[in-house]
Amino acid sequence: MRKDAPPFRRILIANRGEIAVRIIRACRDLGVEAVSVYSDADASAAHVRMADSSVRLGPPPPAESYLRIDAIVEAAVSSGAEAVHPGYGFLAERAAFAGAVEAAGLVFIGPRPAAIEALGDKLRARRLAREVGVPTVPGTLEPAPVDRPDQVDAIIEVARGVGFPLLVKAAAGGGGRGMRRVTSERELPAALAAGSHEALSAFGDGTVYIEREISPARHVEVQLLGDSTGRVVAIGERDCSLQRRHQKLVEEAPAPGLTPARRRKLHAMAAQLGTAAGLSNAATCEFLLAPDGSFAFLEVNTRLQVEHGVTELVTGLDIVAEQLSLAAGRPLSGAVLAAAERAADPGRHTIEVRLSAEDPARDFAPTPGTVRRWRMPSGPGVRVDTAISEGDRVPPDYDNLIAKLMVDGSDRDQAIDRLRRALDEAEIGGVQTTLPFHRFVARSSAFRAAELSTGWVEQHWDGATDRERARGVALLAVALADRGESDNLARPGTDGLASPTPRAGAGGWRRAALDAEVDRWPR
Amino acid sequence: MATVSGEALRVMTADAAGEALVIEPDGQVLPADRQVLLLPSALDRTSGRRRREVVVDGWRFEVDVEPDRRARLREQAARASGHAAQDGRLEIRAVIPGRVVAVAVNPGDRVEAAGQLLVVEAMKMQNEIRAPRAGTVAKVAVGAGQNVELRDLLIVLE
Repeated sequence: MRKDAPPFRRILIANRGEIAVRIIRACRDLGVEAVSVYSDADASAAHVRMADSSVRLGPPPPAESYLRIDAIVEAAVSSGAEAVHPGYGFLAERAAFAGAVEAAGLVFIGPRPAAIEALGDKLRARRLAREVGVPTVPGTLEPAPVDRPDQVDAIIEVARGVGFPLLVKAAAGGGGRGMRRVTSERELPAALAAGSHEALSAFGDGTVYIEREISPARHVEVQLLGDSTGRVVAIGERDCSLQRRHQKLVEEAPAPGLTPARRRKLHAMAAQLGTAAGLSNAATCEFLLAPDGSFAFLEVNTRLQVEHGVTELVTGLDIVAEQLSLAAGRPLSGAVLAAAERAADPGRHTIEVRLSAEDPARDFAPTPGTVRRWRMPSGPGVRVDTAISEGDRVPPDYDNLIAKLMVDGSDRDQAIDRLRRALDEAEIGGVQTTLPFHRFVARSSAFRAAELSTGWVEQHWDGATDRERARGVALLAVALADRGESDNLARPGTDGLASPTPRAGAGGWRRAALDAEVDRWPR
Repeated sequence: MATVSGEALRVMTADAAGEALVIEPDGQVLPADRQVLLLPSALDRTSGRRRREVVVDGWRFEVDVEPDRRARLREQAARASGHAAQDGRLEIRAVIPGRVVAVAVNPGDRVEAAGQLLVVEAMKMQNEIRAPRAGTVAKVAVGAGQNVELRDLLIVLE
């Protein structure tokens, strides 16, 4: 018997991929029925196979499926769901979606529409932070003029005060879209116009503003949970500094190198801002950590983050389950309050790497395709969140994240050791993934020394060279296999290729290669 | 020490990037500290070459392998047929699955080398497909809005 009654009888999950599967798992644990939705590209996907029931939304393009507010609300009503979980991405931070769910008499599992709307506008969020005394990145608090020759002098004057290099950012922005880096006054008018144009096409809102570029900086964010009484607590922070194109690659918790006192101060700032914004359910407050040790508020994400799992491993909480409980009107649980108490000194360390279908030798360009080989690691301290099985197709229509590999340990060193081991166990074929980059990170002395910054990837990673080193080995291996030398490959230590080192002893791949020949050679 | 026995082999990545490796009999050894994953091979019926996928330390390669002797013969034959490839029919195929968002040419259009042909969007990224050489557009096999799979025919140049 479960201790508590399920928070809902049935909910609809308005998402796909690993996050939909993650939410279904929480539903199973709680005894809540899960309804999934899908596009034609996902008719046989894991989130459809695992759900109690599923509703088709439409063709693969997001605008015709996962972004259709009308179709999703209709699916929720007709399937008898009591609440809707948006996951991340798609409609998760659209106040109009949350509002439509509520208008249909259902519960939106996330912050209230008014809070989503207020914080989704980064300028409003910056003004709010300023009002409650939380330091923000230096820059403007009002929209910058775009294509206004009469105001060019005025905005250049403002930009001088902010300092170069600076960033033009979209008020409705995210994921780096609408963002432009500006190194001189001369470039500013064109950058404002270009950023505004991109923001308009991406978000339907061309409002842009100016912010100083803090570089090198670390990206540190605080996980908040709040209940319907207005109480907001911080349960810990994550360092997400390793990024490319403003998309995170590696995340860890807690952020290395902070004393409990500084952590407490950071958490208090985030909770203060969350309280002032009327946040409830789950949200994340993002900060930049400058080299001088100062924190500056960046933005609030009013949804579950991709990287919520690292905080779960550190705290022992199930954040999705807590979201359901909070959405049902229950107060912050005892487990959440206890985690908030321990948040400044959590005593464990977790690292997550995002395995994406991208080529890390070609600037992380997308590589959709069919996954022909898929073996994920397991063992002590390892968690994998994924929706992929061998033979699945990574569709070109959606985000290219295919798995989140998390490791945890009693300290950061143990977590890195486990990361290295887990990545060595991973076998992925058919599509190029970010695996080589993550293997590099796990072996990097700079990462081990917690030398983290948002410029880390540009500074340390040379994908083309790393790939070229592997290329010669690839050609040799194929030549050996072609000559039937895989017999030798399978018997290291006799006259096999490998000297009997520990790596050679891990001859799994060699045996696996032979098995592949026997079992799957096309007839 | 394991070596390749029999005759010399030529192996190269299928995208023809980088140089081919000719492996002489009894020549080379594989380092032991690499993670190597060999996937089942498939025979490419048009070329008669065997294509294999191999993943080394997470890097994925498609590799063509054939006896060096035969590769030399093939190259001689290609040279003999002269510059046919320069002004013959050239099929441009999709190198990534995605959606065609724009087509810049019509049949009969003259294009210069590196002239824009079409744009394929995959995973929120727009990939411009340009003409590998000058020529005349003989066929446009796709339209804007259409989904394409890997290696689908896009455009024929003559």
